[in-house]
Amino acid sequence: MPLEATAIAPGVAGEIVVALDGPSAVDDRAAELELQLNRRFPKHRATLLVTRRRAGEVALATPGVEPSPPLASELSAQVTTGGGIPGQSSALGALLREGVRRRAAAVALVAAAPHDASADWLGLLLAPVLEDGFEYVCPTYLRHRSDAPLNTGVIYPLTRALYGQRLRQPLGGEVALSLPLATLLLDDPDWRRDPLHAGSDAWLVAKALAGRRRICQAWLGAWPGAGRADEGVTETLTRALGLVFREMERHASRWQRVEGSLPVPSFGSGGWLGGEAPRVNLERLLDKFRLGARELAPVWSLVLPPATLLALRQASAARTEAFRFQDDAWARIVYDFAVAYYAKTMERRQLLASFTPLYLGWIASAVQETQGLDEVAFEARLEALCAAFERQKRYLISRWRWPDGFNP
Amino acid sequence: MWEETQRIFLESLARVLQGAARQLPGALAMLFLLLIAVGAALVLRAAVRRVCERLEVDRRLREWGFAGPPAEGQLVPSLLIARLVTWTVLAVGFLAGLTAFETASTSALASRLLDFVPHMVVAVVIVLVGLAGSRAVERSVLIGAVNMGLHSARLLGLGARWLVVVLAFSIALEQLGVGGRVVPVSLGIVFGGIVLALALAVGLGAKDVVARSLERRFPAAPNPLDEDEDEGEEGKLHHL
Repeated sequence: MPLEATAIAPGVAGEIVVALDGPSAVDDRAAELELQLNRRFPKHRATLLVTRRRAGEVALATPGVEPSPPLASELSAQVTTGGGIPGQSSALGALLREGVRRRAAAVALVAAAPHDASADWLGLLLAPVLEDGFEYVCPTYLRHRSDAPLNTGVIYPLTRALYGQRLRQPLGGEVALSLPLATLLLDDPDWRRDPLHAGSDAWLVAKALAGRRRICQAWLGAWPGAGRADEGVTETLTRALGLVFREMERHASRWQRVEGSLPVPSFGSGGWLGGEAPRVNLERLLDKFRLGARELAPVWSLVLPPATLLALRQASAARTEAFRFQDDAWARIVYDFAVAYYAKTMERRQLLASFTPLYLGWIASAVQETQGLDEVAFEARLEALCAAFERQKRYLISRWRWPDGFNP
Repeated sequence: MWEETQRIFLESLARVLQGAARQLPGALAMLFLLLIAVGAALVLRAAVRRVCERLEVDRRLREWGFAGPPAEGQLVPSLLIARLVTWTVLAVGFLAGLTAFETASTSALASRLLDFVPHMVVAVVIVLVGLAGSRAVERSVLIGAVNMGLHSARLLGLGARWLVVVLAFSIALEQLGVGGRVVPVSLGIVFGGIVLALALAVGLGAKDVVARSLERRFPAAPNPLDEDEDEGEEGKLHHL
């Protein structure tokens, strides 16, 4: 059964605090969004703030105004968190502080990049909190089905299998939260204990999923684009997988008790974006995979069991058109890397970087397998992949509990 | 005749006994020092093993790539460190025992060897750190090279590893005072040769790889990893 939204004081005409996060020149956009919010939620006073980064700290400021440095004593008196300033270096931390200080009915972090004008994206993001009593709204975007393969092939199936909730794009970047959840998050000890990871997308979504909060996803139209500077595939993998694996470690006692998965309530129109597929050079991807299979075998042998290594060797010898990654094998590979990350089998950055050729091989396999499929068939194919991740979760749990059980 | 022989025999026996008696305190002192060294070695061995266990040295060294996975019949790093400490203490105890003898030559030799011990320990530590670090460097270079698409990745990793090993041994030899100026000069020649070889290799054979790498670092040009190079943002694959 999907989680039903229960009323947590919906309709209370509190303030809406929206933080606009972007590299620069967001002030004009803030005024435009404020107008949009006032029109969409006339009962609520909307406050648009922009993020300002200075010396590794993030502060929220009124558009066009430089923020005055906050006093730590003032902040700790306003919020219930003890010791330090939570989320000092995170935009989410700054938003939570501001939202809790103002006792806002809803807080939202949105990207400064222009969004899909055809969708009421801001309304879709905030309405579930303000009108339907949800505590956490995860943004979901329309993208071409071949785009974001890291999400399709790893993040979505993995998060779904772990926490049992089918959030299509768990690392969306934007978010809307209710006041109770914002207060709870601000009080979280991770801000002090693990400031490197607290406030990240993966941290937030894992907290919401593992804490069994009332969550939903909102389809906000076409993807507004990457918020950060263009990174290479290895950097993206290292960053995103590192965050997700770190949260797996943190919530291990929770996800080991979850079996299967359920859909989450969705708002807006979902689906896939049509048009031209992103360019993928299959031969080059396979070259990278084959090179990895040849040269990185000693490294992979520390992480993967012999049967998987054999399967990879056989796959690397296959002709391009016959090249395939089996879903169950792929799920086990992802799980083996998660276990190696947790067990610190090798230096973590090296471990995640060594995953790159495998991931590129999986993209090549997925592109070949799905290029002729229509939307329905593609959706069924994705469902089969996610089912494989859920099926192999027993393998993950067994390896997680006895990481040395497989002795390379 | 018989009396003369008896006298000489007794005199020589007395001399031997006197000599032995003169050395007896030294021998006893040496034995005592050896016993202390054995005791200290055993205590230190247990302490080192306990500290290594508490600090999870084996796991950490494995994680950092300094040591491989545990294999049948192979020494784990913590045991190796404990053994090294044990034998060092025993060796120092033995040399200290030698100085207890009154013989000038033995004493002088032992003193010189004792003076040499700190250099020896530093050299051994440098070699161990170098050997351990070389594995981490090798793995890092190997993975980086594979992700850059360099086909001789393993060779590059191996080269980087040996470079670190050679560097560690050179520093250790210099610490021991072996080879004098020959070691730094040889090292300079080897490094110069490697840099020249790399420069030639990059200039002649790998200019495309370098160009691709630079393009990736400066995102003015599209990422060539898995997209065509002559098109813009439209249709570009984003991984996340």
